Amino acid sequence: MLNQSTSDTLDRLVGLSPQSQTYATRREREKVVAATQGSENSLFDPALAGLSEIDRLYVALYACLITPSPELAAEYESKLVNLGANLQTIHCIQKSDIHKIGNVRLEAMLNFTHTLITKPINADKMALSGLPKAGLSTPEVVTLAQLISFVSYQVRLAAGLRAMQALELSL
Amino acid sequence: MSAPIHIKGFTNDILGWKAWLEVVQLAQATPAQMSVLEESHPKAKESDYYLFLVHQPEILHQRSLAFNAIMYAPGGLSRAERELASTVVSRINGCVYCASVHAQRFEQLAKRQDVIEQVFEEPHGAGTSERERAIVDFSIELTLNPDHVNASSVQKLKDAGLQNLEILDLIHSVAIFAWANRLMLNLGEPIFPSV
Repeated sequence: MLNQSTSDTLDRLVGLSPQSQTYATRREREKVVAATQGSENSLFDPALAGLSEIDRLYVALYACLITPSPELAAEYESKLVNLGANLQTIHCIQKSDIHKIGNVRLEAMLNFTHTLITKPINADKMALSGLPKAGLSTPEVVTLAQLISFVSYQVRLAAGLRAMQALELSL
Repeated sequence: MSAPIHIKGFTNDILGWKAWLEVVQLAQATPAQMSVLEESHPKAKESDYYLFLVHQPEILHQRSLAFNAIMYAPGGLSRAERELASTVVSRINGCVYCASVHAQRFEQLAKRQDVIEQVFEEPHGAGTSERERAIVDFSIELTLNPDHVNASSVQKLKDAGLQNLEILDLIHSVAIFAWANRLMLNLGEPIFPSV
């Protein structure tokens, strides 16, 4: 059975063990811990209708690579490989060669991801309109926007927790 | 109580917001969608923002739990300081709507608006005390360069008097606005009061 430190993605990636002060501080905000993991679980739920789980993971991988957040990128890459994702597509994403993927719908999602991660102010009405044009339904647009925005949150939470842990270990 | 601020396109006016794609019509909402709207915000049923996000009710449910736990948890970083961090992140990301809402909340909680004017004018270096400047600096760094945040970034917060739980609350407040700003910026636009 998984203990709490391994079932929580951020604890595992940041390396927070129950003995650490940062872990204990995080548990003073247990509702945030639960809703953060709950958000990840709902966004990557294999049963969620619309965008495929693999397409959602490609988006998360690309968001982490361009932020950059190498640890979270490695996490999403390993999930993709475990699910049997197309290695050529992963390679194109790693090289930021989005136009070479050869899938209009996925390319539109990844181009939107690039705008929203690097320069959110440029994610305007015209940028959004590219998604229905590429065949996304409105509920799929909502999933995509929530997904990219959640990853923006998750990478900053991971970075902040890692910095707290690094200071704790240096004292 | 609070004087109008209009600086560099940012304001503390009460703004509206409209979605660019179709929202869920209340008459057609499922019981699951209605229940998520009711828990998310007192005015969620009149808000384009919630009526759009509720196309995916479980994702909105979890996101509302996270948002409310971060912004309203008792103890730790003062609620005014959480609102200050949210306003700084919104100013950096260019989210005029979020900046106006959280500037108003800061003013209601802190009973002053001096630091909001500074943040709207130029967020880098803003703050009316060493503690505020440390909060603002950290908010900018975690927003723009999360990969640069390290032990010394956290030490600067401790030097300015922040305790561990306050630092965690600050990280949460900055991170949740990386999320909120992106939704508000990419799914619709603010509506300005007619003059």
